[in-house]
Amino acid sequence: MSYGGKESGRDQLSSLKKRHLLEGEEFSRYVARIAVSNICQSTGFHSSQQSASYAFADITVRYICMLGKTAIFYANLAGRTSCNVFDVILGLEDFGLLRGYPGGASDVHRCLLSSGIIQELIQFVNTEVDASVRRPIMKFPIPRMPKPTPSFAQVREVPAGNHIPDWLPRFPDPNTYKRTQVWKKRDTDAKEDKVEKTRQRRKAERSLLSIQSKLGFNASAEIQLTVDGDVEKGSKLVANNPFLALPLSCNDKKISEVAIPQELEPGKSSAVLETFVPALEASKVKSLDFDSNDKIALPQRRTTIQFKIRDGKKFTEISPSSHILDAKKNSWFLMDDEKDDKKKRAETIT
Amino acid sequence: MNSSSSSMGGDGRHDDDAALTEFLASLMDYTPTIPDELVEHYLARSGFHCPDIRLTRLISVATQKFISDVASDALQHCKARQAAPVKDKSKQPKDKRLVLTMDDLSKALQEYGVNLKHQEYFADSPSTGMDPMSREE
Repeated sequence: MSYGGKESGRDQLSSLKKRHLLEGEEFSRYVARIAVSNICQSTGFHSSQQSASYAFADITVRYICMLGKTAIFYANLAGRTSCNVFDVILGLEDFGLLRGYPGGASDVHRCLLSSGIIQELIQFVNTEVDASVRRPIMKFPIPRMPKPTPSFAQVREVPAGNHIPDWLPRFPDPNTYKRTQVWKKRDTDAKEDKVEKTRQRRKAERSLLSIQSKLGFNASAEIQLTVDGDVEKGSKLVANNPFLALPLSCNDKKISEVAIPQELEPGKSSAVLETFVPALEASKVKSLDFDSNDKIALPQRRTTIQFKIRDGKKFTEISPSSHILDAKKNSWFLMDDEKDDKKKRAETIT
Repeated sequence: MNSSSSSMGGDGRHDDDAALTEFLASLMDYTPTIPDELVEHYLARSGFHCPDIRLTRLISVATQKFISDVASDALQHCKARQAAPVKDKSKQPKDKRLVLTMDDLSKALQEYGVNLKHQEYFADSPSTGMDPMSREE
């Protein structure tokens, strides 16, 4: 007896729905299908259609359920909770009402034991050959033990009210049955955040002030500017801003002399950096402790800065990515006055 | 009349009782094709409660009888369908295989009061059989 494997010709959605409905029943239906196929084989069929075997298994399941339901109905009717053999016989008779069975309803006071159904069953069992070799299947469904709620004594909780003994299970948490306050969980402490913020602000202020002092502004003058009103602001600006002051005459201020070195080394690129080394060092040292209130004094002797004056050669150094481009483009950079722009672009595209 | 029938039925009842007891005892030897666990599962779902395994066996035997009756009726229908049309001489030796079809099953179940309807064909897409103009939409 062969029945096909995968479902074919069924809609995906309907099979998904069916799977959802029959969740947990898959195994029992499968077993029912196997049993039904075995019976059909013993009857004489060689094979069956897949839909036919599904339908037949479904009918079997319905038969069993209905028989159980009828039997328990009759038992309840008689005032019992557990079923009897007579309840089962009555249920079987209900099923056989349509076709009829021997020893039927003509005799009202008959005994159920002489019912024709039993006779038929006995005949059936006697004639039936138990040829099917069955695999034993385990008892299903497997019962899952539920976790009981712990009692008051187990969790060491004092029950609300003296009338509640402590061996009873505890009450559920209030958030399970009513709306409670929800606090947003913060990773950082608010106080710590504040401290960090003020520290950063102070650091920024210090660095800003150090820059200003390096450039030669009067810090106190700046502060005064922000405090005073608009009318006085203009005159103060003129008085305190050295750029807006009147130019000095020749010998008013003493300016330090510029030392011209003996050797002029062209192409010494590090000279520029070297001149700023003392200033950088001073800034590094002085930026952190502003509270010392000492003015940063510029060095008396200014170092030489060399400016090399060359002829009008354009800057030809190109970034590394442009090395990928061909030489034509390089020439375009140099001779932009000679060629037309559009023509050059066309050349580069090609 | 009642008393006479009851007195006469007393012996009969005793016989029937013995027969049933014997039958239920023999059930333990005969293993039904439908597994006990399956029957117990579905009976528990319906509310049937009985610790006696013989009753469960009785129900499973009754179900097996029902299924075999339906299957034999379907077999009759199948054989009748095969025997009736003798159109081709080549067709007969080919159709030796007996296949349980939905058609035969529904005919067999009709006598038992079960109405089983099977779809004639399945459409492979929702737009099958529709107007080709509207299908393009």
